[in-house]
Amino acid sequence: MASAVNHLRAETAEELLFDRSFRTRWRLGFDKAIGWVLPLLFLVAIIPILDLVYYIASQALPTFTWTVLTSTNPYDPDALGVPIETTAAIMLFAIALAVLLGLFGGVATAEFLPERAAGWVRMAANMLVGTPSVVLGYFGYFLFVITFGWGLSFIAGSVTLAFFMTPYIFRISDLAYSSIPRPIREAAYGSGARPYQYVLRVGAPIAFPQILNGVFLALAIGVGETAPIVLTTTQSVIFPPTIYSPVTFLTGTIWENFSQPAGSPSLSLAFQAALLLMVVVVALNILVRVISARYQKRLEGLYQ
Amino acid sequence: MNATPTAPRHRAYGATIGRIVPFVPALIPMAILVGIVVELLISSKLTNFGWGFWGSIWDPPSQWGIAVFIAGSFLTALPALFFAMAIGLGIAIASTTYLPGWITRWLDPFVDLLAGIPSIVYGIWGYLLVAPFFGSVINPALYAHIGFIPGFGGLAPRADGLGLPVGVFILTLMALPITTLLIRDALRSVPRDLWEAGLGLGATRWETVRHVAIPYGSRGILSAAFLGFGRAFGETVAIAMVLNVVASYPTNVYGSTGTMAAEMFLSLDSAFGNTQWLAALSEMALVLLAISLAVNIIGRRLVARIVTYEVPGL
Repeated sequence: MASAVNHLRAETAEELLFDRSFRTRWRLGFDKAIGWVLPLLFLVAIIPILDLVYYIASQALPTFTWTVLTSTNPYDPDALGVPIETTAAIMLFAIALAVLLGLFGGVATAEFLPERAAGWVRMAANMLVGTPSVVLGYFGYFLFVITFGWGLSFIAGSVTLAFFMTPYIFRISDLAYSSIPRPIREAAYGSGARPYQYVLRVGAPIAFPQILNGVFLALAIGVGETAPIVLTTTQSVIFPPTIYSPVTFLTGTIWENFSQPAGSPSLSLAFQAALLLMVVVVALNILVRVISARYQKRLEGLYQ
Repeated sequence: MNATPTAPRHRAYGATIGRIVPFVPALIPMAILVGIVVELLISSKLTNFGWGFWGSIWDPPSQWGIAVFIAGSFLTALPALFFAMAIGLGIAIASTTYLPGWITRWLDPFVDLLAGIPSIVYGIWGYLLVAPFFGSVINPALYAHIGFIPGFGGLAPRADGLGLPVGVFILTLMALPITTLLIRDALRSVPRDLWEAGLGLGATRWETVRHVAIPYGSRGILSAAFLGFGRAFGETVAIAMVLNVVASYPTNVYGSTGTMAAEMFLSLDSAFGNTQWLAALSEMALVLLAISLAVNIIGRRLVARIVTYEVPGL
C-alpha cells in the first residue's frame, strides 16, 4: 500500500525504482550516461568549424587592409579588387540565367504538369543536384569551351555555373508554388482566375520570399564552387573586357595560390580570398535561415 | 437562338498551345541531365579501351585502367561515410532525445554551418593545418603504437601528412551535415505516440530510441547513408588538395591514392590535345556520374520527401 502512494508521488526515475536489481540500475545508469556522452559528439562539428574560422581569420587578418579589397591595379599582386569585381559579374550573369531557367521550370512543374510527369522532372532536378560538380565542369568544358569554341572564358564559366545553380532555383520555385495552401489556389481558380493570373497575382506574393531565399542559397552554393569554374575559365589579372576573355574567380584565386610557400604574398592573398568567401557564404546562409524562419510564420498565418 | 455549346475553333487551338507551352520550361532539368550524358558520350568519341579500362594501371600515354581510381573513391568515401553516420546518429539522437530545445537551437546551426563552408576553404585548411598535424602527431603515433595491426604498419607515413587519413577526415566533415540532418528528420518523423508508448511502458529514453525510434526511422537513416555517401564520393577540390593524388593503390592506411573526381579535376589540363586521354577522362566522368546518380536515386526513393533543403548537395 505504501508503495502505491509512493508511486503517485514519484517524480524521478529513481523513486520509481522499486526493484533495485543490478539490471534496472544499469539500464537507468546507462541512459543517464549516454545522455551526457552523445551531446559531446556536437564537439566533432563545433571544434573543426571554430578551428577553421580561427585559422583562416588569423592567417588573413594580419595582412589585411581595405586596399586589398578595393585595389584593382593589375600590377599589384596583393589585391583582390579584380577577382571581387569579376566574381560579382560572373555570379550576376549566372544567377540571372539560372533564375530564368529554374524559375519558369519550377513554376511550370508545380502548376501545370500532371503529377506523374512532375515526379519525373523533380527526380531529374534532384539527380542534377547530386551530380558531382567536376562532372558539370567537364560538361561545360567540352560543350562550351571546345564544341562552341568559347574558349576558357567569362561566358563559358558563367554559363556552366548557371547550369550548376539551376536545379536549386528550380526545386525551390517548385516547392514554393506547391506549398501554397490549397484553399487559396481553389479560391483563385474558383473566382475565375486564369492560370497566369493565379501565378502572377495570387501565387507570386506568397511564394516570393521562399524563391528569394532559394536565390540566396544558390548564390551561396555557387560562389563557393571551384571545379566547374576552374575547369571552364583561365586566370587573368584584369576585369574581362569581353565575354570571351579569361577571368579570375575568387575560388580560382585560392586554387592557384594555395600551395605557394608559407609567408609569400600569393599565399596570404589566397587566405584573404578564403576569408572573404567564407564571410560572404556564411552571411548568405544566415540570411537564408532568417528569411526561412520568418516565411514559415507567414505561411502558417495563411491558414488562420 | 441557338447558343453554340462549344468554344470557337481558334479558342480550342489556342488552348492546346496554352497547354503545351508551359510544359517546355519544366523539361529544363531533364534537358541538362541528358545534355551532360550526351556531351560526355560525344567527347569520349565512344572510344573502346577494352577490358584494360577496368584494369589497375593508369599510365596516361598508353594505359587506361580506371579501377585504381574507382577503388580510391570508395576507399575515401566509405570510411568517411562510416564516421559521418556514427557521429551523425549520435548528434541526431542527442538533439532529438536528450538535449532540451533551447540548447539544440544553439547547437544545431553549427552542423548546418559545416555544410555551408566552400570545399576549397576546407581544402586550404586541410592542406596547411590539418595535414601537418596528422603528419607530425596522429600518423606517427598510430604507426608507433598500433603498427602491429595489418595495414597500420609497413611504409612509414609521409612527414607532410597528405594521404588517406586527412582525406577521410575532411570528407567526414563534409558528409556530416547531410547525414546528421537526414537522421534528425527521420527521428523527428517518429510519431509522438510511439515515443510516449515506449516511455510509458517503462523503457528508458535510450531503449525507446534504440527499439522504437531507430527501427521506425530506419528508411530515413538508410537514405542518409546513401546521400552522405554521394556527397563524399563526388567531392573534388578538397580531396585534390589533401590526398596527394597518385594512380596507385595505397599500401597502408597512411598511403595515398587517387579518386575519380580528383584525378579528373587535376589532369584535364595535361590531357588537352590528347584525344585518347580526353576520351578516357570522359568515360571516367560517365562512370562517376553513373555511380553518383544511382546512389542518389536509391537514397531519395527510400524516403517520401526530404524535409531539409537548405543544404548544398541535398
